[in-house]
Amino acid sequence: MQERKTFHAVLSCVKALVVLLAALFSVGASSSLVHAADSGLSIDISVFDQVVVNGTTERQPVPGVTVLVKTEAGVAVGEFVTGTGTGTVSVPVPEKAGYTVELVLSSLPSGMSLIDENKAIAVITKDAFTTSNKKVTFFTGSVGESGASAFERIAQRFADGVRLGLVIAMCSVGLSLIFGTTGLTNFAHGEMVAFGGLTMFLFNVTLGIPLLIAAPFVVAIGGLFGLAINGLVFAKLRNRGIGLVSQLVVSVGLSIMLRNIFLYQFGGRTKPFGDFSMQTAKSFGPVSMTPRDLTTAILSLIVLVAVALFLSRSRTGKAVRAVSDNPTLASSTGIDTQKIIRIVWFAGGALATLGGIFRGLDEQVGFDMGSKLIFLMFAGITLGGLGSAYGALIGGFFVGILVEMASLVVPAELKAAPALFILIVVLIVRPQGILGRKQRVG
Amino acid sequence: MDWLKILENTVSSLVGIDAAYFALAALGLNIQFGYTGLLNFGQAAFMACGAYGIGMTAQYFDVSMWYGIPIALAFVVILSLLVGIPTLRLRADYLAIVTIATAEIVRLFVRSVRFKRFFGGSDGINSFSTQFRDLSPFDPSKQYGFRPFQYSGYTFWTLIVAWCLVGIFGFVVFYLMRSPWGRVLKAIREDEDAVRSLGKNVYSYKMQALVMGGVIGMFSGMVFALDRGSVQPDNYSRDVTFYVLTALVLGGVAKVSGSIVGPMIFWGLYVFSDNTLRELTRDGGISVFGVGLLQKSQVGPVNYMLIGIGLMLLMTFRPQGIFGNRKEMALDGR
Amino acid sequence: MVADRVYTETAQRARAALAGVQPAPGVAKPDPILLADKVKKNFGGVTAVDVDHIEVQRGSITALIGPNGAGKTTLFNLLTGFDTPDTGEWRFDGRSLAKVVAHKTASMGMVRTFQLTKSLTKMSVIENMKLGATHQVGERWWNGLFPFRWKAQEKLIEQRADQLLKRFKLDHMRNEYAGTLSGGQRKLLEMSRALMTNPRLVMLDEPMAGVNPALKQSLNEHIRGLRDDGMTVLFVEHDMDMVHDVSDWVIVMAEGRIIAEGTPEAIAANPAVIEAYLGAHQGKSLLGEETPS
Repeated sequence: MQERKTFHAVLSCVKALVVLLAALFSVGASSSLVHAADSGLSIDISVFDQVVVNGTTERQPVPGVTVLVKTEAGVAVGEFVTGTGTGTVSVPVPEKAGYTVELVLSSLPSGMSLIDENKAIAVITKDAFTTSNKKVTFFTGSVGESGASAFERIAQRFADGVRLGLVIAMCSVGLSLIFGTTGLTNFAHGEMVAFGGLTMFLFNVTLGIPLLIAAPFVVAIGGLFGLAINGLVFAKLRNRGIGLVSQLVVSVGLSIMLRNIFLYQFGGRTKPFGDFSMQTAKSFGPVSMTPRDLTTAILSLIVLVAVALFLSRSRTGKAVRAVSDNPTLASSTGIDTQKIIRIVWFAGGALATLGGIFRGLDEQVGFDMGSKLIFLMFAGITLGGLGSAYGALIGGFFVGILVEMASLVVPAELKAAPALFILIVVLIVRPQGILGRKQRVG
Repeated sequence: MDWLKILENTVSSLVGIDAAYFALAALGLNIQFGYTGLLNFGQAAFMACGAYGIGMTAQYFDVSMWYGIPIALAFVVILSLLVGIPTLRLRADYLAIVTIATAEIVRLFVRSVRFKRFFGGSDGINSFSTQFRDLSPFDPSKQYGFRPFQYSGYTFWTLIVAWCLVGIFGFVVFYLMRSPWGRVLKAIREDEDAVRSLGKNVYSYKMQALVMGGVIGMFSGMVFALDRGSVQPDNYSRDVTFYVLTALVLGGVAKVSGSIVGPMIFWGLYVFSDNTLRELTRDGGISVFGVGLLQKSQVGPVNYMLIGIGLMLLMTFRPQGIFGNRKEMALDGR
Repeated sequence: MVADRVYTETAQRARAALAGVQPAPGVAKPDPILLADKVKKNFGGVTAVDVDHIEVQRGSITALIGPNGAGKTTLFNLLTGFDTPDTGEWRFDGRSLAKVVAHKTASMGMVRTFQLTKSLTKMSVIENMKLGATHQVGERWWNGLFPFRWKAQEKLIEQRADQLLKRFKLDHMRNEYAGTLSGGQRKLLEMSRALMTNPRLVMLDEPMAGVNPALKQSLNEHIRGLRDDGMTVLFVEHDMDMVHDVSDWVIVMAEGRIIAEGTPEAIAANPAVIEAYLGAHQGKSLLGEETPS
């Protein structure tokens, strides 16, 4: 009987969550889905110009380029032109089958050429359609144009690393504190980051509210979102006495669900915010950065310092750390553990949301922007020590720098690999992390 | 609305190749997660070991595809050591974190331009299965079976091989788990300190479970690659592991039947949901009071959303699977 | 109470061997099976264990007592390889155990139980027991598939398990899930499972915790029985009646150190011990932590 009641309660909560999210994003849905072909399948063809500025590769979309799409058998599907702004054209195709996409070289703007001339034709096999849209990207630009010195390249990478590190640190604090206070390794934390970016997209682009005005509201909504996840899912699981491993698997399910709700509403492509999206980089000594990036970096730093001060100085902050250190001990000293857990989820959600907004400003917004980041967040909090807030700050920051610096030596597409390396080394050498504490057996 | 067609597709998907390769992957994951309690979130990477093992060997090294099996085995062992050595002494979640990360890196690695020479980059590897094709006793141009179980010669051949493998490994897992070896694994899942206090090398047993589950996962990847005749890096994304996990939990963990029946039901439900939604949106999207509810391109996300919800509900209410053992479930509350 | 004790032959022998030993912390024993030196462990700057010297007499029942947070369980963890000390050296039956991992200490003949019982709830009682047997052929995976290689051994193990279950009066629960046992029965199961390893030293962490009074007396008998079978017992306990009843020798820990040793009678009258216990009750600062994790 009791079980049935809880079942219905949780079921309705899940439903409520779905409806809430759907409502939140439904305004943005209609515009993003105009490209939907009858089959729902499409090939998204993009042309980007790569310009190396002081060691960073900048990608600019190239509009007005003609591409020919043919079926495997050589029957033309059509001739298409990349769009203004995005440099992308979405070609609806009837079925999952083999296609060839040919870039008409003569249609490239003068002075531009493909980085790899042999790759004017891209072959798509039937199985390449792992999702309903297959992306094909052509890159133009001149190779070896980089005039930056080694020092400038290193400085630039370091600066980019600091920016990434600040964002990772911001997103990870909640992840680490949630672990510390409840023991849950929350695999859905990345989705809270994506939630932030996407909600800001909704406010800024769909509703047209200036980013700076919308930001505080979005961050507050993010906090409430965290609170809702705790209240509707994990608090219920804790009350039912469900084990931590099961809770972890539930968080995986939650992550899949949320990510696909985002995909359902937002579509698969990344999009920029309306504000601050077009900026040119300025030089600061050896480093070039857009004013936007510089501002987000400074803001991130201020927020993180504020978080650290809150944790070390305020009464609530101290209580949070006490619970995170040892929940049973803390509750025996009269701290309201449940309240602390709610605070942690709210703050974690808000910080992740802010991180999502900053990330969106940096790299555009996409439904999977969080799940791309979660692995770096885990590496960060493991390095810093699971459950330690300061550890998350330090670890996340370090991982960000490492990943960006690594791209000096490893190919950019593999730059996340050193984070895995760090993860493994930390677990072998000092599994409790820099600031973590060992636990007793028995 | 072609309900008959949907029904046919659903029924045939119960024994389809997808269910078969999922069953293999689930059998492997069951040894790790179900019996031993290891949170391997990188089963997709073990599957990739199998697929790339045979794909690479045949395509680039110009030797028989069958050499791919020992090569794939070597990949599995290397991968297991890589994720196992740092994590198996620690809490369960560390393995989850490291396997999910490793699986993602493996995928980036094989699809990278830098290693395209070996792994074919994002295009994957596409022509390696001739040897396997030639072994088929069935005429590829003919149809075999009866509706709804009707297949081309090649598909019929891979299906038979795949389900035979499921049978063989199902048998192996069943007997292993009834042996004292299996007893140690089950005990580790419950309380590894207790097992350690009784003189068992828990670390070594966990590693054995990881490798053995990985090897079965490897065969799953091979079956999948042979059926498609191609190896695509994005077929081994992290979500594949989670779908296998969902299928396993659906059928019931720590049971051989669960890891075979689970994937069958999983694919039955998936195909039913997918076909129904596609059929409903065939003539444009569904909308209620002018608000677009479902477009054709949204069918995919909705299916996966349902999988996510399913996994959450199963873990919460039926952690022993839909055919769960009541007696065992009653013990959870203690 | 104490005067009423009936001493079995082994008990008399154990007490006779310890009769000439000075009741002082870290005193040497005539025939120690376990001895440790300078074992130290810090947890986050707090000293949990700081044992200068400790010896456990072979064939005796030694109680390890002390107020909460005295470091008893941590000492157990260190000695059995479940935790590594910052410094220290200790020997079991002449063999050094420092840096020996937990599972090896068990196969060397030194087995322990846990404060919170670790019965494997979703396995049957008999499966729990059979797990305890060491050197099983079928525990190697390549043998697992071939029952003819391990069936014979399994049969012997099962016989031994059944005998032990009978002795501990658990035979009627043989095929039930261990999770259905009562707290006291779980303690018994854990103890008998530990015996399946054929140990020479049995280390029991609070065998009486959570056991109902009716069962306590028979548990006492079982522990005495271990000594009669030639095993050495070291146990942590809070129940002072039981300590008086069962033990041949008592070691008292407080704040990580050994503060007193002696026969149960001598300890009961020792002012340092009373001080340590009363001090604890008056809420003096206590180091270490007792909350099991």
